[in-house]
Amino acid sequence: MNRRASIRTMLYIAGGTLVLPACFRQSGRASIELVNLKVSDEDETLLEILVETLIPTTDTPGGRELLLHLFVLKMVDDCHSPEDQQSFVRGLQSFDGWARNELGVPFGDAENERRERLLERIGDAGDAVGKFFSLLKRRTIQGYMNSQYVMTNLVKYELVPGRYNGYFPMETADGSTEKVEGW
Amino acid sequence: MANIAIDSVKERTFDAIVIGSGASGGWAAKELTEKGLKTLLLERGRDVVHVKDYPTTNLYPYELEHRGEITHADKMANPIANRCYAYREDSRHFFVKDDEHPYIQEKDFDWIRGYQVGGKTLLWARQTQRWSEYDFEGPARDGFAVDWPIRYADIAPWYSYVERFVGIAGNKDGLATLPDGEFLPGYPLNAVEDHFRNSVDRHFKGRHIISARCAHLSKPQPIHIEQGRVQCQNRILCQRGCPFGGYFSSNASTIPWAQKTGNLTLRPHSVAHSVLYDEESGQATGVKVIDTNTLEEIDFYAKVVFVNGSTLNTNLILLNSVSDRFPNGLGNDNGLMGKFVAFHNYTARISAEYDGLLQYRTDGRNPAGGGYIPNFRNVEKQETDFLRGWAAAFGASRYENRDSSGVGGALKAGLLNGKWSNWRVHSHMMAETIPKEENRVWLDADKKDKWGVPLLHVSVDYADDDWQRRQDYYDRMTEMYEAAGFTNIKTQDDGRRPGNDIHEMGGVRMGHDPKTSLLNKWNQLHLCKNVYVTDGACMTSTATQNPTLTYMALAARAVNHAVQELKQG
Repeated sequence: MNRRASIRTMLYIAGGTLVLPACFRQSGRASIELVNLKVSDEDETLLEILVETLIPTTDTPGGRELLLHLFVLKMVDDCHSPEDQQSFVRGLQSFDGWARNELGVPFGDAENERRERLLERIGDAGDAVGKFFSLLKRRTIQGYMNSQYVMTNLVKYELVPGRYNGYFPMETADGSTEKVEGW
Repeated sequence: MANIAIDSVKERTFDAIVIGSGASGGWAAKELTEKGLKTLLLERGRDVVHVKDYPTTNLYPYELEHRGEITHADKMANPIANRCYAYREDSRHFFVKDDEHPYIQEKDFDWIRGYQVGGKTLLWARQTQRWSEYDFEGPARDGFAVDWPIRYADIAPWYSYVERFVGIAGNKDGLATLPDGEFLPGYPLNAVEDHFRNSVDRHFKGRHIISARCAHLSKPQPIHIEQGRVQCQNRILCQRGCPFGGYFSSNASTIPWAQKTGNLTLRPHSVAHSVLYDEESGQATGVKVIDTNTLEEIDFYAKVVFVNGSTLNTNLILLNSVSDRFPNGLGNDNGLMGKFVAFHNYTARISAEYDGLLQYRTDGRNPAGGGYIPNFRNVEKQETDFLRGWAAAFGASRYENRDSSGVGGALKAGLLNGKWSNWRVHSHMMAETIPKEENRVWLDADKKDKWGVPLLHVSVDYADDDWQRRQDYYDRMTEMYEAAGFTNIKTQDDGRRPGNDIHEMGGVRMGHDPKTSLLNKWNQLHLCKNVYVTDGACMTSTATQNPTLTYMALAARAVNHAVQELKQG
């Protein structure tokens, strides 16, 4: 992604959400303003690694580049109850401890392969972590599927379809479809 | 300033005043201005100018701050508005927030409101069906409410008149229970909707699945182009306001049309407090208005007043129009005003799956939503223990299953490579309710809103017959689903409160007799003939049809009558 595209992505993390300049954060990363959640720089870094582990960079952008961690924070901050917000933050911290224990190193320091294997057995981490992780994963997937990148390039969203066909032929095995006129 | 300009009585005098700019008020204003009457159109909310005031209309999902979701704080602050299916991040600015206009719920009642120019025409579901003769005959035949003072023949030409201008997509289905209209091409049923239609035709005499009729321009005619509207683009983002004018709203259609005549004065931010009555002439003289910006009380005058404030607000305004002659509300000698409020019972759904016709899916979006099942219950004669019947929506669709198990590359691949599901079919019920005297609204004796208008008490509820009708819907739909080979059939009570059908009707009902009704066959108050009510408040019974088309036809018909009366002096 070129720089222009990257800036546009940042602006669209969550509609009109203000992206704070990098210099606001010690880590030098972009961030957003939160109203309810109290999240440290380290928490945010861990979330960033988590969304990148869930949706890794391949030949298309992953969670980090699409700023899905900021999207998750934005949604938890605005669209969840105070109880959910507290259990999210507590669950994140519990996850951090559990991961250190299991991996012998902080989650972010482990190799990608080991991080993925760990997330696959998140069920072993107990209810608090499980609840946090399912919220994180749901919001990460939502942010990904509704990101400008995916909606423009991968699973295209049509704002103005201009058509309806109630007998659209399914693709055949060779990928072709019979050409049928819509109404 | 404006106040100086309206200081003189002359400046505040019009030929006609219309209260409310929704579907029926917009129509009244269009008809009055086209017939040359200088008309004041009052709207309690802000102005919403077509296209210009649709801030979300062209936003992609990722441009919405919360991707369409409502925030937790909003949900806590507005539980009533949040129970409406259409209350979303992209449309919430067209809804009344709970604290903006309080009312007193004697029983749970969701009063869903849109206070702005255009009212709820920006938010409506756009389904438009004519009433049939069976519906108008219903109360007299079955012995409830009072006899409608009109029959199908009285309103049929006005349905046609309104339909041509609004633009209704539909097919000529030839059903006596749902008369055909002036249609643009109907939207097609899809493969499984057609399959269901054919199966029902084969197995069940007198039952029909048709393409839902809706106020969308499937093929605009010159009259629509002249309104500045073009073909519906199948966006199905209607509740944002449509930049194409692809569906009918007051904003896209009747109000700009009325403005073009030069005879319309549109006054937003104007709460109608009451209709003014002159005992000497025995007529209404105008409307008392509260300017919501200045809280000033201003009287406007006219020869004829149309009350189209939406059902419950029309009741409220008329109940609040008290004088020495009418201490209980304008024209309310019989004490029935505010009573016999009814609605539609929308509390039931039924879904299922279908494993056939997998060689097809749909492409694009259908603005009609799919199929419609006109009422077939108790039509020719009484067949059941309960009176009247129900209509239903029916639709079929497939969706792309996306595997969200796993993490990393497997998750990403699962999300991006959807697999088409089998067909899912769904239906919801739209049942008639019987108007009952105890279902009523009235004014609080002391409590007032911030404009000095009394708060409205609402006491409206379901009754046992509503649950009988619902059981019949479940039973009949299940047998039709089974005959069509649908599997995994699931019924669902959706528990919605009265009011959440957004089809509240009655309280100022039409009838022959001033002793048992408030309005005559021309929608005039029996006891104050230059006041017309042509919104949902006038309804004597509810039938099963979506009611807006009928309000619009009644409004056009009533204006025609009012203008004739004025000409005859």
